[in-house]
Amino acid sequence: MLKTIRVEDAVGTRLAHDVTEIRPGEFKGPAFRMGHTVCEEDLCHLQRLGKNHLYVLGIEEDEIHENQAAVILAEALAGDGVVLENEPREGKISIFAGIDGLLQVDTTVLAAFNLVDEVMCASLHNHTLVRKGEMVAATRAIPLVLKRAVVERAAAVARQRGSVLAVRPLRRAHVGLVVTGNEVFNGLIEDRFAPILSEKLTGLGSEVVAVDFAPDSSEVISSAIRSHIARGCDLMIITGGMSVDPDDVTRHGIRLAGAQELHYGSAVLPGAMFMIAYVGEVPLLGVPGCALHHRVTVLDLVLPRVLAGERIGKAELAFLGHGGLCRDCAQCCYPHCPFGKS
Amino acid sequence: MKPFHELLASSAEAHGHLCPGQVVGVRMAMLGCRLIGLDDPTHPAQIKKLLVYSEMDRCAADAIAHVTGAKLGRRSLKFIDYGIMAATFMNLVSAKAFRVLSTEEARLLVGHYAPEIRGKRQQQLMAYQRMPDSVLYRVYEVKIALSEFDLPGPANHKVICSRCGQAIRDHREVVLNGAILCRPCAPGCYYSSASEISWPDMNWTPDLHQACKPANTLR
Repeated sequence: MLKTIRVEDAVGTRLAHDVTEIRPGEFKGPAFRMGHTVCEEDLCHLQRLGKNHLYVLGIEEDEIHENQAAVILAEALAGDGVVLENEPREGKISIFAGIDGLLQVDTTVLAAFNLVDEVMCASLHNHTLVRKGEMVAATRAIPLVLKRAVVERAAAVARQRGSVLAVRPLRRAHVGLVVTGNEVFNGLIEDRFAPILSEKLTGLGSEVVAVDFAPDSSEVISSAIRSHIARGCDLMIITGGMSVDPDDVTRHGIRLAGAQELHYGSAVLPGAMFMIAYVGEVPLLGVPGCALHHRVTVLDLVLPRVLAGERIGKAELAFLGHGGLCRDCAQCCYPHCPFGKS
Repeated sequence: MKPFHELLASSAEAHGHLCPGQVVGVRMAMLGCRLIGLDDPTHPAQIKKLLVYSEMDRCAADAIAHVTGAKLGRRSLKFIDYGIMAATFMNLVSAKAFRVLSTEEARLLVGHYAPEIRGKRQQQLMAYQRMPDSVLYRVYEVKIALSEFDLPGPANHKVICSRCGQAIRDHREVVLNGAILCRPCAPGCYYSSASEISWPDMNWTPDLHQACKPANTLR
């Protein structure tokens, strides 16, 4: 329970919270820390700070302080690949990426957690690429003193599926690339896909180990795919021929290669003609031509998730719709924009 | 106690349909019984240890009664007309009682837990099966001031209404200005304008010749 007393009566009592002092341009910080025992000499300073009343601690047996609560909450929210700030301050603890990788947020459980009274957690978006040491979330116990049972229930809610927040490392994929199209196969135009995709994959910690060029023939395309997989490629990217013209046969080639679970079409612009399929455990990504003309497309949203081990299917491609429209800004600042955020 | 899905199926049959209230009520009863240490409340060894207070008369109330075996007529089920989706489960031996309250936030989270299901009712049905107890309920340990006149067992208190002569049992009389009254004679009765009538076929009696003979038929 919190008790309010006049500053004049506070000598000998312990402060229930930090008392902040601001001297513009000079200082902003705690003049007194939570738990400080007020003495005679402090009264003048407190009154100068405009404090006429203070909260003092009187915690009942079934209550806990906000800082204790924050630790309980943070430990329940945090899963693999995240680390906690060392000490809570004013009931708040920040949560950081413990490794480079892809942030995964269980948004359902986060919503359930935030519906518990007196606690909160705010996070970055699910599927954000993060670096080790970046803040990914923060949690706070809102009142100064909380009922223990409320905090324990919030922690139980957070743990219902293990945890709410995790960072998954991206695997180092050995990527086979098949660039399709008669014009590039016959040397009439220079391929730009291979350098663009190599740069993207290298940036994500993977490497292109084999590149093949194929004409608009589903048989040749499927043969190239099978050959790459046989040689050990554990991620296939096939470019071009993803549209609906008679010569766009790439997705047929992917099917002929033995792919199961083909999903054609994504709720993203640019990138509606994207395809994902699987040959066993090897993902095959069919990338449409827009990836040549746009810095960021559906591929940039899906590739990190594939490398983090997520199996992308029809639902995942559909749920990209909300936030899946690129604004095609003159100065692209992805990922610091709404594209891919939902 | 039987597994959840068996209880849900039998409860829905007894109630007349499967609905989200059945899920909430079955799970509420399972949790309540677990909290008071009764793992088989319908078993003869446990049946007399349980009192259940239902704060609503909705679908969940039937589910709670079905799972716990508590019955109005055995005085083990009490209806407390609060209009709140909650029930209290009391162990008469230990006197421990826990109030299990269905949370409003569970309703708000239905779309999150069953996003792929269409139709509000179907979505609720699935979501309430997927949510953990920590999201569906809040639990309070409570104290119940249990009157001897509320306990199961034979009636042990009978008085007569001073206005109409009606016998009133279980200490349900109202005392108004020193006079003992039955509830219908006291203010606030649920019916009004009572007028006694005669009715058609007043002498109808069960036809004992169609079924078995009564036990005391003379040969």
